Amino acid sequence: MTLSQGKAIFIWGTAISAVIFLVLTYDSLVQMPKRTQEAKLDAHVAAGKWTWQKHNCNDCHTILGIGGYYAPDVTKVMSSRDNAWVTRFLKDPEKVWPNPRKMPNIHLQDQEVADLVAFLTWVNGIDTNGWPPKPMVATAVTSLSSGEEVYKAQGCSACHTIAGVGGKVGPDLSKVGGKRDKVWIKTQIKDPKSHNPQSIMPSFPKLSSKDIDSLANYLAGLR
Amino acid sequence: MIYESQKIALNYFIVAALLFGLQIVFGLILGAKYVWDFDPLLNILPFNTARAIHINLLVVWLLFGFMGGTYYIVPEEAQTEIYSKKLANFQLILFALIGVTAIAGYILGWSWGMPFLEQPTILKFGIVIVALIFLYNIFMTMMKTRKWTVIQGVLLGGLVMLAGMFLFGVFFMKNLATQYFWWWWVIHLWVEGAWELITGAIMAFMLMKITGVDRAMVEKWLYVEIGLVLFTGIVGTGHHYYWIGTPNYWLWWGGFFSALEPLPILFMVIDTLRSVRERKAEITNRVALNWAVGCAVMHFFGAGVWGFAHTLPQINQWTHGTQITASHGHFAFFGAYAMLNLTLIYFVMPQIKGLTNFKQSLGIKSFWFMCSFMALMALSLAVAGIVQTYFQRILGMDYLTTQEYMKLWYAVFWVSAWGFAAGVVMFLLDFFRLAKGKA
Repeated sequence: MTLSQGKAIFIWGTAISAVIFLVLTYDSLVQMPKRTQEAKLDAHVAAGKWTWQKHNCNDCHTILGIGGYYAPDVTKVMSSRDNAWVTRFLKDPEKVWPNPRKMPNIHLQDQEVADLVAFLTWVNGIDTNGWPPKPMVATAVTSLSSGEEVYKAQGCSACHTIAGVGGKVGPDLSKVGGKRDKVWIKTQIKDPKSHNPQSIMPSFPKLSSKDIDSLANYLAGLR
Repeated sequence: MIYESQKIALNYFIVAALLFGLQIVFGLILGAKYVWDFDPLLNILPFNTARAIHINLLVVWLLFGFMGGTYYIVPEEAQTEIYSKKLANFQLILFALIGVTAIAGYILGWSWGMPFLEQPTILKFGIVIVALIFLYNIFMTMMKTRKWTVIQGVLLGGLVMLAGMFLFGVFFMKNLATQYFWWWWVIHLWVEGAWELITGAIMAFMLMKITGVDRAMVEKWLYVEIGLVLFTGIVGTGHHYYWIGTPNYWLWWGGFFSALEPLPILFMVIDTLRSVRERKAEITNRVALNWAVGCAVMHFFGAGVWGFAHTLPQINQWTHGTQITASHGHFAFFGAYAMLNLTLIYFVMPQIKGLTNFKQSLGIKSFWFMCSFMALMALSLAVAGIVQTYFQRILGMDYLTTQEYMKLWYAVFWVSAWGFAAGVVMFLLDFFRLAKGKA
């Protein structure tokens, strides 16, 4: 090979790749407003994005799979948590989720919290080509019961364990149905301190009675 | 060394070496946060702040190294003194001040919040000014003699691309997906574009000087290497566009082109080994040679093999956003760019200090410490990432619960990191001995 042949490889290799890349970039930028539901991207979402950046959330959490790997990915968090839960969590992470690995309380203003929730709700709607994928095993098994879904959405597993999976702050619930009846469980969810004034479990009075009922049904069935 | 102004490199390397040491300190703090849940620094230096500092120091010390290297190489290539020594020194001070302000700002909670680009906007404009001063100084030096060697042409091209791409990360966008689309133009087109050009040029220069092989040979293969780098690397950006709100044809384009990305790196390994085998000069600087050959090999494994392992979308959909990426990040940045800079420092320092022969045992020892412990770090994080991928993504276990099952591997990672740090301490001792002119 000669120097000029080497140079030709350089020039043509670069040019071909750059042209392909620029064409695809143009097309992507045309398609992305629709794929990301830009119509729903209002001032709250933009303010929430800035709040997310200002507090450098991305160097612990990943979003769209990018960032620090120290805390959960939040791309689809609004699919598994409701507004009220996320709001309560952002105001005082430790109180809602006393996990061993901690998120500091960054003392967000109410408006910042509302903006962040709007931002995360918008991010949740981005078409990510199916990422993150549904777990292979969970999809192979039958779908979750509604009580299990409430258990998951409210983050109960942060403190409680069922069948070996979950946190160790609260009691193991794997066989809770053998010890407690449905009425007792319902009271515990609504007002933990009524059973034990020293309880550190947060109360969930805001859950709908239907959700409390199905959660209690599910837990009472664990024997 | 032939030209007096090549000595400008010395101060750049001193700053680079100090920042490298500091980067490792923050790395050890971050590792401890993974190993122990109890975090006494939670409200003083939380993980996000420490990470911002760790990764910023990485980029900045590498840039100081590249700049120092450029100030060393260009006079010899252009056969003239640097256009303005004063400008070079002013640029160093300005860049260092911006760096210190950025780090102090992070600790006080002043952040722009995009990973690697956490610098507040006003500091980013300062960085642009530093880049413009640097490019002006280098360009004017080259214009003095207009000897357009391939090495200095590629070097200049890489530096212009580096500065130009940074502009895509300066502006706030409301749409997170679009922001990340352009963010990759900085991050990916730096490490798999501009930085590869700079690395190719610097490595070509050093191999030519260390081994005495012909310039014609070196420059011919430099063209081929960077041609392949840019051919695979530009469209290869697409491997970051699988899951961020971008059209799904990127799965094909990104997958295909990025799967070819190890080829130019393999080519560099072969090229390096051939230059050493066909050497025409006796190689006395064994430390620099170790780092040069080691760099080619670790570059190939860290960037090439580790990158290839999770670049195809069929695999990446499961591993994206896990510790697999962190493993690859550590291995690739070290193998490709930290090692290039260490090669450069060991190649340049004895020449600036006029040491024809110097004690090499500590330098060689630090080489083996850093390389072997970095390999262990990358392996342990990879195992942590495999555990995470399986439990969290395949079985659907909760993120935080999964972390508990990864602790053992975080511990192995952290202990290995102390071994790596020991290698860095040896390097710093050796470096400052050389900087004092002691053989």
